[in-house]
Parts: sequence; C-alpha cells; structure tokens
Amino acid sequence: MRLRPKNTCRTKRKPKTSVSDQPPFLSISGLRKSYGGREALRGIDLDLQRGEFLCLFGPNGAGKSTLLKIVATLLRPSAGQVNLLDYDLQEHPEQYRAQLGMVSHQSFVYQDLSVLENLEFYAALYGVKQPRERSLELLEQVNLLDCCDMLAANLSRGMQQRLTIARALVNDPTLLLLDEPYTGLDEHAASVLRDQLQLLHSRKRTIIMVTHNLRRGMESATRLGILTRGELVYLEPKKNIDQAGFEKLYFQHLETV
Amino acid sequence: MSSLRQVRFLLGKDLRIELRKKESLVSMAFFGTLILVMLNIANGIGRQVDAETGAGILWVAIIFSSVLGLGRVFAREKENGCVAALLLSPVTAGEIYLAKTLVNFTLMLLAELVLVPVFYVLFGAQLNAAPLTLLPILLLVNLGFSTTGTLVSAISAGTRRNEVLLPILLFPLILPLTALAVKATSGALAAKPLTALLDQLEPMAAFCVVFTAAGYLLFPFAIRED
Repeated sequence: MRLRPKNTCRTKRKPKTSVSDQPPFLSISGLRKSYGGREALRGIDLDLQRGEFLCLFGPNGAGKSTLLKIVATLLRPSAGQVNLLDYDLQEHPEQYRAQLGMVSHQSFVYQDLSVLENLEFYAALYGVKQPRERSLELLEQVNLLDCCDMLAANLSRGMQQRLTIARALVNDPTLLLLDEPYTGLDEHAASVLRDQLQLLHSRKRTIIMVTHNLRRGMESATRLGILTRGELVYLEPKKNIDQAGFEKLYFQHLETV
Repeated sequence: MSSLRQVRFLLGKDLRIELRKKESLVSMAFFGTLILVMLNIANGIGRQVDAETGAGILWVAIIFSSVLGLGRVFAREKENGCVAALLLSPVTAGEIYLAKTLVNFTLMLLAELVLVPVFYVLFGAQLNAAPLTLLPILLLVNLGFSTTGTLVSAISAGTRRNEVLLPILLFPLILPLTALAVKATSGALAAKPLTALLDQLEPMAAFCVVFTAAGYLLFPFAIRED
C-alpha cells in the first residue's frame, strides 16, 4: 500500500512534475536506470523551473544518488531524457556540463595540490575568465583564504568540506546538485553551506539536494520529493505541507519500504 | 574552449603533482636501475653482452619500470573521486586521454634519462652506438606504450586488483611493439645507420597511429562508471 499525505492530492496518478506553465529549466522525462536485472529508477518525470530548490528524500537504495548521477552525466540512463534549457544531455554534453556544479560524497579535490591550486585548476577547466580572482573570492566566502597555500591533504575534514563546496561553485553553476551534502559536516561547514545555498537560491540558481536530514532539507527547499524504490512517490511545493506533516508522511513511506 | 587549452591544464596539473611528489619518477628510475643491476650481476659482472642481448636488457628495464608510473597516474584520479569531477566538467574524455598519454610519455622520457645512461655504464663498454641513435626508437616506444597504457590503466583502475590486471592486459598488447623495439635497438647498438632500421621503425610508427586512434575512441567507455 502506498501512503498518502494529508492536505495533498496524492492519488494513483503520478505526482505533478511542474509548478509552472513556463518551459522548464530542467526537464526529466521517463528516466529509467537498470543495473543488470535490478531497476534503480523506474520512470522518473520531473520539471524544475529556474530558481527552484528541490529537496529529495528517500531511504537508502531508493535511487536518489543514481538520479543525481544521471543528471550530472556521470551515468547514462537506460531510458528517458534529461534536458537543461535547450541542451540535451546526450547531444550537447559539454555545454550541458558547463552549467553544473556538484557536491558529492567524495571531495573531488586533489590532495597533492594546494587549496588555491585546486580551485584554479577547476576554474581553468570551466573557462572562468579570471581563475585566480574567482578562486580567491570563493575561498573568502568559505573562510579558507588563510589556508590558500596549504596542501589539501593537510586540511582538517571540515576545511576539506568547505573546499569541496567552493570547488562546486567555481563555475557559478546554474544547476547545483547536492548528494548528502551535510553528511559529516561540522557546524561551521554546515553553516557555510547553508549560507552559500541561500545565496545561490536568492540568485535564482536551481538546486537539487538529496539528503536524509529532514530539518536541513526543509529549511531551504521550495519543493519536496520522496523517492522510494526508484519511483517519485511524492512531489509537492513545500508550502503545501508543514514540517510535522511531511516528517510523518516521510516516515510512513520508510515503513512501507 | 579549445581542446589544446584543456589538455594543457590537465597536463600541467599532473606534472605539477608529479614534480612535487616525485612518486612515479623515483620509483620508475629506481626499479629500472635495480633491474639493470640485477641483470648485470646475472650476466656476470664484466662479461660482454652482444647487441641483441643488450637491447633485450634495456627494454625489459624500461617496460617493467614504466608500468609503475602508468598505474599511479590513474590511481591519483580515483582518490576522492577526482575522475568524476573531470567527467562533470566541460572536458571531453578524449582531452583527458590525450593529457594522460602525454603525462605517461613525459614520465617515461624522464625515467629513460636515468636508465639509458645506467645501461651504458653497466653494459655499454662493449656496445658501439652513441646513445642519440636510440632516440627515435625510444620516442616511438614511449608513444606506443603511453597510448596503449593510458587506455589499459583507465580500464584496470576501476578494478580491485588494478596492479595485477594492468600488466596482464598491457603486455600482450604491446608485444609487437616491444619485439620491433628490441630488433631496432639491437641494430642501433650494433652501429647500424638509422635508414637500415626502417623495417622496424615504420611498423612501430603504424602501431602508434593505430593505438592512439583506438585509445582515443575507446577511452570514453573505459573511464565511465557505466
């Protein structure tokens, strides 16, 4: 049995994928992914407008990271399509990827390069006009300016995570993907991340965050989704449900899984 | 952005790390020297070797030591998921392949700057050729080894037994190149002119072209998770 939230219109039909009649900024349609015989994603449809902040929740193995990896072009879908503005993921992968930023479980930083060298390298790859200036600006935002000459290997875990956040923002992405970004963050790094997300959101950047942390997820999101067994079983604007109601609904979904 | 710029950034990053840590270079040069010394002892110190045997000894040392560098170049990208970060960026897989090939080529060349003089010191007294005659042969083998090795190390880097799988996959593929290199080198060490070695150098160049093209085309499949 699939559980439904109060105050929402969950029926047997799929969740409404868009909150606007405008052409979507990010459009995902019929997305499927199989690993051998096991289906990790079973037909995901999702439209996001520019400036939306979607937070996806779901139990382990629900397909959240797989969905993010496909949107990030790190995995190929078995079926379905992902479009960002006019860029088809399959047809214009480089232009598509130039718009992306990602914070993953892994730091994506080179341990044997300094903090500044890491950011400058990625900034150069993304074709940032003034890589050094952009890198220094980001290091100041994440409070790592004093450590810019330190090797990444010598940073504490919290500092590495702040560097990871800066790295993901080096190209000023229009679509930011966050896979459990709060996992293992100390309070300082978490507040830096929250501030950066609020800043990006205020600048109309589109964000998809996958997390188990309901409180963190709900404090910034504009839409909430629940993914279980590769299906998007809930997708609504945050204003349609209060935190207590969503938490109850989420745990009901967890119990069914 | 132009491919050349992207390749330059990737190459610069790898060489900067390598020159800072010197992990691959030191291990390649040390291991290669060790092989040469062991073979010198096994041959009997002071005993003469002919050009054919000398060529075999030189390439055993270079090829075995170069495998150490190949494995390290991709292992570094796997740490902290950096390879995923590259795939997320607007860089194409082909640009990554060219940059990695150039890194491996450069590392081999730097290791040979140590190994060839050591070879001449240990075995060279009986050999006639000047080391510069070896240059075109070294460059062609470096190119063929780097193009093939970069592809194979990308495949093996995703496996648990990377260090075992890499030579098992690589050595059969470069066998024709190695055999031609040994023959050409024995000619060079016997003081034959370069024109007399064209029968070996031309197929070696063809090997390089074929494996560069194959590596460039196959690399996107080797480097991705799916």
